[in-house]
Amino acid sequence: MENQGFISFLWDNLQQFFGYTAFANFTFGHSVMILIGLLFLFLAITKDWEPMLLVPIGFGIIIGNIPFLEGLSIGVYEEGSVMNILYQGVRLGFYPPLIFLGIGAMTDFSALISNPKLMLIGAAAQFGIFGAYGLALLFGFPANEAGAIGIIGGADGPTAIFLSGRLAPDLLGAIAVSAYSYMALVPVIQPPIMRLFTSKKERLIRMKPPRVVSQREKIFFPIVGFLLTALLVPSGIPLLGMLFFGNLLKECGVTRRLAETARGPLIDIVTILIGLTVGASTQADKFLQWNSIKIFMLGALSFMIATTAGVLFVKFFNLFLKPGNKINPLIGNAGVSAVPDSARVSNNVGLEYDKNNYLLMHAMGPNVAGVIGSAVAAGILLGFLS
Amino acid sequence: MSKRLYLFLLAGCLLLAGAPAVAQSQADIRINEVLVSNTDDYEDDYGHKHGWIELFNTSRGTVDIGGCYISNDRNDLKKYRIPKGDVLTKIKPRQHIVLWADNKPLRGTFHVNFTLEETSALYFTSSNGRDVVDSLHIPIGEGPFSVMDYIANDKGNQVTVKGSIPHYPVENVSYGRLMDGEDAGGANGWAFLVKTTPSSNNVILDSEAAAQRFKQFDPYGVIMAITAMSVVFVALILLYIVFKNIGRASINSGRKKAEKAGVAPDAVAVAQDAPGEVYAAIAIALHLYIQQEEAHDIENTILTINKVTRTYSPWSSKIYGLREIPHKQ
Repeated sequence: MENQGFISFLWDNLQQFFGYTAFANFTFGHSVMILIGLLFLFLAITKDWEPMLLVPIGFGIIIGNIPFLEGLSIGVYEEGSVMNILYQGVRLGFYPPLIFLGIGAMTDFSALISNPKLMLIGAAAQFGIFGAYGLALLFGFPANEAGAIGIIGGADGPTAIFLSGRLAPDLLGAIAVSAYSYMALVPVIQPPIMRLFTSKKERLIRMKPPRVVSQREKIFFPIVGFLLTALLVPSGIPLLGMLFFGNLLKECGVTRRLAETARGPLIDIVTILIGLTVGASTQADKFLQWNSIKIFMLGALSFMIATTAGVLFVKFFNLFLKPGNKINPLIGNAGVSAVPDSARVSNNVGLEYDKNNYLLMHAMGPNVAGVIGSAVAAGILLGFLS
Repeated sequence: MSKRLYLFLLAGCLLLAGAPAVAQSQADIRINEVLVSNTDDYEDDYGHKHGWIELFNTSRGTVDIGGCYISNDRNDLKKYRIPKGDVLTKIKPRQHIVLWADNKPLRGTFHVNFTLEETSALYFTSSNGRDVVDSLHIPIGEGPFSVMDYIANDKGNQVTVKGSIPHYPVENVSYGRLMDGEDAGGANGWAFLVKTTPSSNNVILDSEAAAQRFKQFDPYGVIMAITAMSVVFVALILLYIVFKNIGRASINSGRKKAEKAGVAPDAVAVAQDAPGEVYAAIAIALHLYIQQEEAHDIENTILTINKVTRTYSPWSSKIYGLREIPHKQ
């Protein structure tokens, strides 16, 4: 009897243990999400597609989709769990401004300062945000969710996370993964559009080399840039303030250690945390929905609209410029930000048609203007829709 | 630096100076609503009904009113000191607190040492005992007045007149702001409220969320696109104008400096317009000149860039070296 009692006791415990394992709670959705996570890791490791982002996000997706019994303070949505504590940076929106601090500290705005008219390309490419916003409204999303989806077109992961955390926290996972995925796919999405809307003659335009920018101008840029943009759109202060502050640390020449920390260890730490927790937030039950598919479709469209708007705007702008000052429309795509990938795309497509026409430095102008433009656009959406 | 640049900086400073500053401090507290005659209204923790005073924190940060004073006498602003150290004196952002005007201060932090029947004015003073943060004239014995209420309809809740009173006070009718903490509206934003709201918003104007309103008026996002793109363009055009001028000023300044130093202006322009490759070549040449003096194969005044070649050997390759080569002492 005692033996039987022990065996049934052991069996009950084993059954209970099995109930706690992920195998007992596994669903089809979890397996799909784990496969998506593995795909991200595959693309990052073997194809070298945005590995800094896709490795943490891919592994985060796998972490977030190991099923468990609720109540053990394990999941990213369970209050008090380690993942939940790390996720607060995404939910409350303090990771994105820290990343912007690092971006500011590593970005050289010289190309933009030397040729300030390139800023307008960065503005034109933000049309992708509002094009996607209109399409999202047509797809039946409420205005706040449409705004959060539209920001994918800004091609700026931290901005997308910041805005969706405020306007549509339920869609944050889908929006963040969509934004980062399409940023990784910039070399695939943009070149066909760039070729479609430009003639061979336009692709061969050689631009004037950028002039040398003095350190004084570089110091003025973050201070004046912040004052002008933040006074106009105060809701963009968290992003714009940190971006320009980081750049001031870099350029002022007296805070080298702070700048190195901001663009080195700090941004690395925050990138790890933001990628991992955004990935973990894509739990199958919250992520595998019809809305997520719609968001992915809208994200792709927003990138296409932004690229088209940037290229067409340069062509339009060229109508008013003297022959020697024309802009190569192949740098129009760089206005979508996605720093520095879209600038690299401009350079690579340019080199296909003229092996000596290096567009990289010229494309960096609209590229960093796109960062400023998308932060301003995020501030406007936040001001209007929150 | 040119005069134009100084002007831009000055304009920026003026813009900043003109911007209103908002601090999260005791200065953000407002007397928000008072009830003088309480016969069938809010009860204190002892189950008694008294007149009450509601304070409102207008700021976006928590404010501690511990140490502040409330009085009904202009000549004695320190009549009742709100005790320090009570956690309940911390008013959360955009929240309220109620003080009982029962002249029984021994009953706790929120029971003041005067009643409202004898009060025609209230003064809330900061913890230094000098600065009156907010004051209120209570129209005791004055009238007649309209009494306000709010009704719900398809446009949200709206404030409407609901009868009148011959004089104040009238039982269970409070005197409060129409919008919490604000002076806007008729009679400096104050009204007699038939629905008293201690520790709550005086009038809840239930309106649709901004996002819903936006979708209602702009179902296709066209207005949003035009407005927002205009703002983005304005922001970046402003930057463009400013930096175009700063760039010009910088170039002019460089020219002037060069002229003073005796360098021809054309030479400066050429130097400014030189492509990046030229600078890269000069930098590498200088590096070689400073670091590797043997690079001068002809004479000291000529810089030569030689292609660096090193014979490959697996013995010297780093990739095959598992550990550092031991040093012989």
